Amino acid sequence: MKHIRINTAILAATFLVLLGSCSKDYITLQPKGEFLTQNYYATREQAYSGLVAAYDLLRKNAGGFENMITMMNAGSDDNYAGGGGPTDGVGIHGFSDFTINANTMPASFWGDHYQGIFRTNILLNKLPGTTMDAAEMARFTAEAKALRATYYFNLVRMFRNIPLILEPLAATDIYNVTQATPEEVYAQIEKDLTEAIPDLPASVNLATEAGRFTKVAAQAQLGKVYLYENKKPEAAAMLAQVNGATPGEPNQYGNNLLPNFADLWVFTNKFNAESLLECVHTDQSNADWGFWGSSADEGNTAAQMVGPRSYIKSGPDAPDIYPSGWSFNVWTQNFYDAIKDDPRFSSTVLDVKALAAAGQCSYLQGDQNTGYFLKKFIPMKSDIRKGGGAVELNFQQNDYIIRLADTYLLEAEALGATGARAQALLDAVRARVGLASVPVSMDAIKKERRLELAGEGHRFFDLVRWGDAATKLADRGFTAGKNEIFPIPASELQGTKLVQNPNY
Amino acid sequence: MKKNLQRISFLFCILFFSLTTWAQNKTITGKVSDESGTPILAASVIVKGTNQGTSTDVNGDFTLSVPENAKILTISSTGFVTKGVPIVGNTISVSLVRATSNLDEVVVVGYGSQRKSNVTGAISGVKAADLEKIPDGRVEQALQGRVSGVTVMQNSGQPGSPSTIQIRGVTTFNNNNPLWVVDGVVVDAGGIGYINQSDIESIEVLKDAASAAIYGTRAAGGVILVTTKKGKAGKTVVSYNGYYGTSAPAKVLDLLNASQYATLRNESAVAAGKDIVFTDIASLGKGTDWQKAIFNYSAPRYSHEVSVSGGSEKSTFYFSAGIENQDGIVATDISNYNKISIRLNSTHKISKVFTFGQTLGYTHQKSMGLGNTNSEFGGPLSSAINLDPVTPLVVTDVASQPNAVIYENADIIKDAKGNPYGISNYVGQEMTNPLAYIQTRLGGYNWSDDIVGNAYLEATPIKGLTLRSSLGAKKAFWGNQGFTPVYLLSSSVSSSKNSYSKGENKSFNWNIENTITYNRTFGQHDITVLLGEGTYVENIGGNAGMTYFNLPINDYRDASFKFDVGLANRDGYAGDFTEHKIYSLFSRINYSFADKYLFTGIIRNDGSTRFGYNKKYGNFPSFSAGWNVHKENFWKMNDIINSLKIRSGYGVVGNDNSGDFQYLARVVGGYNYSFGNSGVVTTGYAPETLDNPNLHWEQTASGDVGFDARVLNDFTVSFDWFNKKTTGILRQVRIPGYVGVSSDPWDNVADMKNSGIELELGFHKRIGQVNLAINANGSHIKNTVTYVSADTNFIGGGAGFQSMGTITRIQVGNSFNSFWGYKTLGIFQNEQQILDYKNKSGAPIQPDARPGDFKWADLNGDGKITDDDLDKTFLGSNLPKYTFGFTVNLQYKGFDFMAFGQGVAGNKIFQGLRRLDILTSNYSTKALGRWTGEGTSNTFPRLTDSDPNGNFGKMSDFYLESGDYLRFKVVQFGYTLPNNLFKGIGVSRLRVYVTGENLFTITKYSGYDPEVGGGVFGIDKGQYPQARTFMGGVQLSF
Repeated sequence: MKHIRINTAILAATFLVLLGSCSKDYITLQPKGEFLTQNYYATREQAYSGLVAAYDLLRKNAGGFENMITMMNAGSDDNYAGGGGPTDGVGIHGFSDFTINANTMPASFWGDHYQGIFRTNILLNKLPGTTMDAAEMARFTAEAKALRATYYFNLVRMFRNIPLILEPLAATDIYNVTQATPEEVYAQIEKDLTEAIPDLPASVNLATEAGRFTKVAAQAQLGKVYLYENKKPEAAAMLAQVNGATPGEPNQYGNNLLPNFADLWVFTNKFNAESLLECVHTDQSNADWGFWGSSADEGNTAAQMVGPRSYIKSGPDAPDIYPSGWSFNVWTQNFYDAIKDDPRFSSTVLDVKALAAAGQCSYLQGDQNTGYFLKKFIPMKSDIRKGGGAVELNFQQNDYIIRLADTYLLEAEALGATGARAQALLDAVRARVGLASVPVSMDAIKKERRLELAGEGHRFFDLVRWGDAATKLADRGFTAGKNEIFPIPASELQGTKLVQNPNY
Repeated sequence: MKKNLQRISFLFCILFFSLTTWAQNKTITGKVSDESGTPILAASVIVKGTNQGTSTDVNGDFTLSVPENAKILTISSTGFVTKGVPIVGNTISVSLVRATSNLDEVVVVGYGSQRKSNVTGAISGVKAADLEKIPDGRVEQALQGRVSGVTVMQNSGQPGSPSTIQIRGVTTFNNNNPLWVVDGVVVDAGGIGYINQSDIESIEVLKDAASAAIYGTRAAGGVILVTTKKGKAGKTVVSYNGYYGTSAPAKVLDLLNASQYATLRNESAVAAGKDIVFTDIASLGKGTDWQKAIFNYSAPRYSHEVSVSGGSEKSTFYFSAGIENQDGIVATDISNYNKISIRLNSTHKISKVFTFGQTLGYTHQKSMGLGNTNSEFGGPLSSAINLDPVTPLVVTDVASQPNAVIYENADIIKDAKGNPYGISNYVGQEMTNPLAYIQTRLGGYNWSDDIVGNAYLEATPIKGLTLRSSLGAKKAFWGNQGFTPVYLLSSSVSSSKNSYSKGENKSFNWNIENTITYNRTFGQHDITVLLGEGTYVENIGGNAGMTYFNLPINDYRDASFKFDVGLANRDGYAGDFTEHKIYSLFSRINYSFADKYLFTGIIRNDGSTRFGYNKKYGNFPSFSAGWNVHKENFWKMNDIINSLKIRSGYGVVGNDNSGDFQYLARVVGGYNYSFGNSGVVTTGYAPETLDNPNLHWEQTASGDVGFDARVLNDFTVSFDWFNKKTTGILRQVRIPGYVGVSSDPWDNVADMKNSGIELELGFHKRIGQVNLAINANGSHIKNTVTYVSADTNFIGGGAGFQSMGTITRIQVGNSFNSFWGYKTLGIFQNEQQILDYKNKSGAPIQPDARPGDFKWADLNGDGKITDDDLDKTFLGSNLPKYTFGFTVNLQYKGFDFMAFGQGVAGNKIFQGLRRLDILTSNYSTKALGRWTGEGTSNTFPRLTDSDPNGNFGKMSDFYLESGDYLRFKVVQFGYTLPNNLFKGIGVSRLRVYVTGENLFTITKYSGYDPEVGGGVFGIDKGQYPQARTFMGGVQLSF
C-alpha cells in the first residue's frame, strides 16, 4: 500500500509544480524587434529612425501606382492617363477625364500625406525629450517642419479644404476634427518653412545625406508657396536667394542649371547641381508586389508606368528600354505639336509611333495610345535592378520635387513677368537648351514652363494657379469651380465632421 | 481508515496471488462470427473482470484457458456490438451483431469519451471502417459529404493541397479554420496534412458550442478530434493495403479553335473601328489545343501501407508505415505530391495504478506545384485558357511567325529538339506558353517534416478516480527550394538573371494538460466530474532563407549553393515567429439519472497572449441536457420508434485566431527611405497604429436542439437545429486617414449569425444474403452579417477581379462576402429598345449603348447607370445553402460495393476564366452564341474591343453561374477471397478492389469544377480541377 501513497504524492506534487509555473505574466508577451510608442524617440538613433520614417512619404512623388507625377500629369492637357485600358487605374482615368468623384478618388493621395504629417508631428512632439546633441536636434526639428510643410503644401493644393493637425491626435479627438481654411494652412506652411530655414544645413554630404532638406530646398519651397498664395513680392525675394544674383551663374550654394538638358534624365545623375529637392529612389529595397507602394518600397514606379507595353526592339535606332512598361501618361497630340521643334523634344518624348512605323520596334498599344511616351523617366534596360525583387518595381531614377529651372521661372512669374531680372531668368532657361531670347511676358513664361517642366507633375497646378485650367482643359471635361481640386475621398467623410469639396 | 485500506489491499493481494497461482483452470474453445456466419478475425475474448484473454484467428476460432469459476466471456470487435456470453460447457459459438444502432459506440468528446447514447451535444463522426474505403490524400476530404453541418471545399486539385472546412457556416471574417486536435495535441489547420488516413481510428466533429466549450477560446470554428489507432491485446496482426491507379482530367473546357477565334477577333476589332486582324481565316484550321498540351490523361497514383499491431494485456502497440505518391493532371512535370509516414502508438500498464501511453507520428511531404493557380495573372492553366489557338505550341519555322524577331532572343525556351516554344503575338501580359513556363519551374518544390506526438501517464489510485498528465508536442520543419533560369517567355515575361533560393521554417508547439476525472455511480445516479488545467505554447521558431543570383549555370540540375556568387548576388532573410500562449482551467460535469435524464455542464477559463491588457482572460460556459424518452416507463416498446433521445444545449466559445500584439501601439520598422547617392536603404521607425487595451476574443454563442432516434428497427435519424451568433468579430476599423497611422487599429466590432438544420439518416438491413447500409446526410445553413460597424454597414469584399475591383461585399443583412455588381436585364436588340429604356424625364437611361449591349438595371432610379456603387446590388452568395452526401454499402458473400456521393446547392460561382483586360484572349465556345443581330442572343452580348457599355468590364450577373452539383465521388467494388484458399500460408484476409474516384458530376457550371474553395468560395480564375481516378488495390492481413 505504501507505494500507492508515494505515487499519489508524486502525482500531486507534479500537479502543484505545473500549476505553480503559470502566473499572469505567463500570458503577457513583450514584442521583440519592435518598440512601444511611449518609450521610443529616447536616443539620437531612435529620433533619426523617426526622421527617416518622416521622409518616407516623400516617395509619394513617384513611388507606388498612385503617385503624384503620373496622377497630376494625367489631369493636364499634356498627357492622358493611358495604361492598359480605360479601367486600369480608375482614379487616374477619372482625373484624366474629370469624371472623378469621392468614391473613385484614390484615398492614398490624402492618407499618405497625413501619414507623413503624423510622423513629423510625433517626432516634433518627442524630440525635446530626446537625449542628443542640441545642434543636431535643431536640425532634425527643422527637417520635420520642412517635411510637414511639404506634405501640407501638396494637400492644400490638391484638396484645398483640409484638417490642419499639428499634434498626434488622441483617440477621443479623432472624430472631432474639422477642416481649416486654406489661409490657415498656408500660414502654417509659411511658419514651418520660415522656422526651418535657419537650422537647415547649407550643404550635405553627397554620399550619406543627400536627399535631406537643405536651406536652399526649404527656401525654394517657401518661394513657391508664396507664389501660390499670390504673395508675389515675398515669393520673388525668397526665390532670388535660391536663384542667385546672376541667372545662369551658380547661386550661393553652388546650384546652377546643368549645361546639358538631357543630363537631367540620366538615372545615375542624382543630386546634380540643378536639383534643389528630389524624391530618392533606389534599386536596393528589393521591392516586390507584396509591398509595392508601401513604406518599404523605394523604387520609382512612375518610370515603370510610362514605358511602352510589350516593346520589342528590332532595329538599331530603337532605344534599349525595358520592354514591359504599362503605357501610362502618353503625350497628347496637342503637346507633341507644341514641343516637336523644341530642342528638349528628344529628352521629353519617345516617339515610339515613328519608330514602329520605321520598323525599328513593335509594341502593344495601350489605352488612349498616341505612340508618344514620356521619355524623362522611361525605364532603361540598363537600370534593371541587380538585386532581388520585381524588375518593374526597382527602377532607381530620382525625380525632382523642385529644381532650379523651375524656381527661375517661378521667380520670373513672381516678378510680374517684367523687368530685366525676369528677362534674364527666362533667357537663362532658354539659353541652356540653345534657344534665343524672347521678350519676357506671362505668355512666354507659361510656354517655357510647359516645355521645360513637361511631364514632371507641375502642369495641372500651373494651369489652376494661372486660372487657365477651365479653357485649356475644357475638351477633357473640366468643370470650373469644381475640378480645380480633388474630391475628398468618400471614406474620410464617414463618421467625421469633414465637409465635401464644392460640387462633388 | 489507513488500517482498513491496508487490510483490504492485503486481502486483495492474497486473492490475486491465489487466482494466478492456485486457481484451477479449464480450456474453452469457440468461434466468433458475424450475423451471416462469416468468421470475425481478431475479435477480443476476455474473461469478464480479469485481464485474461485472447483474440480470434482467421477462422474466428479461439482457445482460452479460463479459471474454473469464470462466469462470463466478453467478446468485442470493432464495428460490432460487444457481447457478454455465459460460460456454459467447453465450447462456445458466438454471433456478433454489427453495431448499426451505434448506441453503444463510444464517442470521443475532448478530455474523455462518452457512450453515444448519453451524449447531449451535437457531435458527428467518421470511423475507421468508413475511412478505409476512401483513398483521399488529405483528411479534410474524408469529412466531405459524410458529416452533416460540415462544408468542405477543395482549394485546388493539386495533389496534397488542403481544403477549406466550415463547421456550421462562417463564424468570423477572419480565420475560420476549425481547431484540429490529434490525440490531444492541437495542430494548426494547414498542418493536418501530415496525418496518414489509415492510421485514424475515428474523427469526431464537435459542432455545437455546448460540446466545443471544453476547448474555450479556440473553439469558435468548431473542433475536430482525431484519434489514431491503438493496438489490441491478442495475436499480432500484420496488414497491408496498397493501390495503384491513374488520374485524368474529368473535364476539358470547350474553347474556340483557331479559325473560330480569328473570326471572332475580326468581328470584335471591326466593331471597335479597327482593321481586320486575320485575313486568311481558312488557313488557320483548328490551331493549338493548349489544354491538351498541359493535361496528363494517365497521371500515376499509388499508395502502400503496412501496419503491425497487437500486444499483451500489459502492453499494446500499433506501428504503421506508408508511402503515397500522386502525380498532378496539370503540367505533371511541376505538379506532384509525395508522402512518407511512420507511426508508433503504444500503451503500457505499468502497475495496477499507472498506465503510460504514447503516440508518435512522423511524416515527410514533398510537393511540386504550378506556382500560380486560380489566378488571372498567368500560370499554365490560365494561360492555356486565355492563349490564342493561332500561336503554335512549338515553332519549327521561325520565319513564318509574325513576331519572328522575338525568337532571336537567346533566352527563349526551346523543346528537346531545339525548336522554340511558340510565343503569342496576340495575347500578352502574363499569359505565356505553358510548356515553356513549365521549363522555367522545373526542380522547384516544397517540403515538410512533421513530428507530432504525445505521452501521458494515467493513474487510478482508487476506483472511479483518474489522474492524467499528458504532454503533447509538434515539431514542424517546412520550406521550399527552387531554381529560376534566365528566360524569356514573352516580351513582357522574362528574367534576365537566374536565381536559386531556399527558405526554411521551423516551429515547435507544446502543451501540458493535467486532468482529474472522478466517476461515481450511486443508485441510478451516475456522475462524472472533470477538472483540468492546460498550458499551450505555439509558434516557437522562425525562418530563414537565401537567394543566390547569377549562378554560372542555367539548368536546375546544376544549381547549388556551393557556387561562390559573391555577396552582391545574395539576398537573404530571417524571421522570428511570435509565440502564442494560452493558459486554461476547465471543468466538466456529466450527470445522468437512470440513463434517462442527461446533463452536461462545461466551463473553461482561457488566458491568451493575444488579448489586450484589460481582457486577458475569458470564460466560456456551456450546458446541455438530454432525455432518453424510450427509457421512460410510460414508453411502450413498439416497432415504429425504437428509441428516441431529445437533446438541447447552449454554450459560448471564443476565437483568438487573430494576429499577435493587435492591442499594442508598436513602433515598427519598415518606414524606409534612402539618403545619399549610394542607394542604401535606411530603416525608419514609426508607430504603426493606435493601441486598444480592450481587444479581446471573438465570441460565438450558439444554441442547439436535436434528437436521435431509431425507427422501424432499421432506420436511424439524427436531427439538429442550431442558431449561433458571433459578436465582436475582430476587424481593422477604418479610422479617418487624417489620423495618419499607416495601419488601421483592430477592434471587436462586427456581428454575424448562422442558423440551420442538419439531418443524418441511416438504413441498415440484412435482406437475405445481402447486407445493405445506406447513410445520407444533409444540412441547410443560412449566414447573415448582422453588424459591421457604427459608421458603415458594409465592407468592400474579400475578392476582386482585375479592373472590376472588388466583386464581393460584406454587408448587413446579407451573407458573408456576397457577390456584388450590376444586374442585367437582357440585351438591347435594336435602337428602338435603347430609346424605349428611358427615365422619368424621358431621356434614355443608356444613351451610349448600341444594339447588342447589356441593358443594365437602374437600381437607384436616378435615370442613369453610374459607375460607382449606386446601381450595384447583391447577386447571390458563394456559400452553399445546402450540403449533402450519401453512402451506399452492399455486401453479398465475399463481394462488397460502396458508392459515395456528395454535393452542394444554393451557391453561385464567379466564372472568371477569361482575362478581362486582354482583349485578344481566347473565348469559350459560348461566345459562338453571342449577339450578332436582332434576336440572336439575349444573354451573350456583342463583341467589340472598345466595349463602351462595359458588357464584359463590369461585374454583373453575367459572370455568375449556379454552383449546384452532385458528384459521384467514390465507387468501389471489392471481393474478399474465401479464407480456406490461404489457410496454409497464414493469410487471414485477402481483399481486392477497384475504385473509381470523381466518376461524374452533375452540374450546370461551365468551368472545370464546381468545387471552388479558398478564402472566399466560388471565385474561379482557372482553378486546378480535381482529377478522375481509377485504381485497383489489395488489402491483406496476416
